[in-house]
Amino acid sequence: MSAISPTAAGPRWWNASGVVRLRREGAVAPILAFAVFFIVYVIINPSLLTRFQLQTAANLVVPLALVALAQLVIVLVGGIDISIGAIMSLANVVFAVQLETMPVPVAILLSVGTGLACGLFNGLLVAYGGLPAIAVTLASAFIFGSLAREVLDAPGGGVTTEIYLATSGELLPYVPVSLVWLAVIAVLLWLLLQRTALGRHIYGVGSNMESVRAAGLNAKLTKLLAFGLAGVLTSFGAMMLASSTVTGDPRSGDPYLLSSIAAVALAGAVFTGGRGSIIGTILAACTLGLIGNLLFFAGVNSYWQYVISALIIVAVVGLPVVWRKVAFRVKGIRS
Amino acid sequence: MSTPTLTSAGAAEAAGAPDGPESPELNTGATGRSSFSSVVARVPRAVWPLLAFLVLFGVGGLIRPNLVSIDSLIGTATFAIILAIASFGQTVAVIQAGIDLSVPNTIGFSALAFLTLVGPLGPGGAFVAALLAGALIGFLNGAVIAKLGLTPIVTTIAMNGLLFGVILLAFNFSELTVTPDFVIAITSAKISVLGLTMPAVLPLGLALMVVLQLVLSFTGWGRSLFVVGSAAETARLAGLPVDRIRITGYMLSGLLAAFAGIVIVGYYQQASATMGASYLLASVAAVVVGGASIFGGRGSVVGTVGGALVLGQVSTLVAVLNLGANIQQLIYGVIILLVISLYGRRRA
Repeated sequence: MSAISPTAAGPRWWNASGVVRLRREGAVAPILAFAVFFIVYVIINPSLLTRFQLQTAANLVVPLALVALAQLVIVLVGGIDISIGAIMSLANVVFAVQLETMPVPVAILLSVGTGLACGLFNGLLVAYGGLPAIAVTLASAFIFGSLAREVLDAPGGGVTTEIYLATSGELLPYVPVSLVWLAVIAVLLWLLLQRTALGRHIYGVGSNMESVRAAGLNAKLTKLLAFGLAGVLTSFGAMMLASSTVTGDPRSGDPYLLSSIAAVALAGAVFTGGRGSIIGTILAACTLGLIGNLLFFAGVNSYWQYVISALIIVAVVGLPVVWRKVAFRVKGIRS
Repeated sequence: MSTPTLTSAGAAEAAGAPDGPESPELNTGATGRSSFSSVVARVPRAVWPLLAFLVLFGVGGLIRPNLVSIDSLIGTATFAIILAIASFGQTVAVIQAGIDLSVPNTIGFSALAFLTLVGPLGPGGAFVAALLAGALIGFLNGAVIAKLGLTPIVTTIAMNGLLFGVILLAFNFSELTVTPDFVIAITSAKISVLGLTMPAVLPLGLALMVVLQLVLSFTGWGRSLFVVGSAAETARLAGLPVDRIRITGYMLSGLLAAFAGIVIVGYYQQASATMGASYLLASVAAVVVGGASIFGGRGSVVGTVGGALVLGQVSTLVAVLNLGANIQQLIYGVIILLVISLYGRRRA
């Protein structure tokens, strides 16, 4: 199951550099979009590259990037997770509340366990119950959300300054810790998806369920594990958010439902499954997460960020479609 | 209730009216089964949520006998009909195998646009303008989905975000305090129907339900919406203008969400940027509990009203038993799980 298509003509330099894979995963447009966005950002606000602003910006985008990666894993197996915001809220308050009484590792384990349990709950119903992911996660969005508010009904919890420094401070000058954590998780996820059997099965289940079944692979188990993996990734995002804001909040995950789907869409992932890139998703999350900051520094009313985000999504996702249609017509006329 | 029967009847009923006469396929599908399950399979899906509501209403009576009263029924039904009006547009989107996650901010946008335009255009003009704005929002959704081929979820999320920006940028919230009398007259004003006093929004919502159900069940456009929802490619091959049906479907969905915005402003007499937020998941919940298939091709506005009644009665019971809003959300989730496990399985 080679990721690089054997039909690509000749051993060109971009085969080795993975550009073909990025193209196949639809990640070229979001990477270019981020590059343009980043250049504009630095021109308007060169002080992004100061220590303080770099750290603030990193803390802003890392939770979104992690939750978007979770949504990506579910989209890869052809699902969608409406409950992702509620799982994030629940893992967030479990982490914050446990910190009041428990040592830090226990709180982390409990929060990850919560994310895993929520993911497996969804995954069981979708994979073994044969129910549509969107409907199952709609139901569990209500359930997990209410559990989150049972655990903690108002912002609070015992997140300490030490935890803030360990997750959201600086490792070295100019190197925010949160970016390091994101990089570690992203690399591990990349290894899992590209270099293990489970990872290839996750891509396979999304792109061609029938072939996977015919090949004797356990498609249901793969789906279940994908949902569990997504739950764990969501809990990482939840803990990063709780740490960088130094509170647990039972509604903190709500905005991440729509923005995680938006980031995955901007990353060029295909919602029927099987196609989507990790680096594309992270950069898409960075773009969407930083638009508000950019507008602030450009002196524009930051409410424009909602309008601009929407237009970027439609442009980046829609333009390739228009381009393909035009190219198809031009080819048709020529022949 | 026999799940396999309901599931296999699904494909046949997808093309036929949910409340209309039985199609011949349904009869062949039902032969060879026990007469009971074939009878159950013939019952329109919209009946089940209404039955469930009656059961819950009875349960309420067992817990607190004074709950079984006309006043309590009208109270629950009023809450439910507002949720139902906000979910009618979602129903139309789900029937054509889409989803409209821009319902929340379409509600907010139309409500605020209406209040803003009452000054320059008068109440009637503002009403029409707000509805047209909703239809325009739906047109943009539909055009992007049908012509550009973007996923409905992504398109309507982007539209929802865009509208939120427009709401925050375009409206001057401090000036929007006065609700015009005519909107109050059609929503929160108490009127007497058949000797019963009720808020005007209740008969208004029920009338809208009847009109929409007639349009969906008995017009060519309404029937083609179901065909597009259950088998878009087949519809295309059969010569139906699929793109045009999709776009007009989303236009109706946007128009209905805009109408919901005006109704909500009239009933609660307040408007804010986030006034629609609670309808994001609740509108989909009412549609799903009402028996629509999330894959498209089936669903009815009568069912949606039934779904909203079930959710409304749950919230009444939770309030009476003093269980708190969290438990209410938990029960909503469990009900949705129950409904989809009864008939949410993917059609083969």
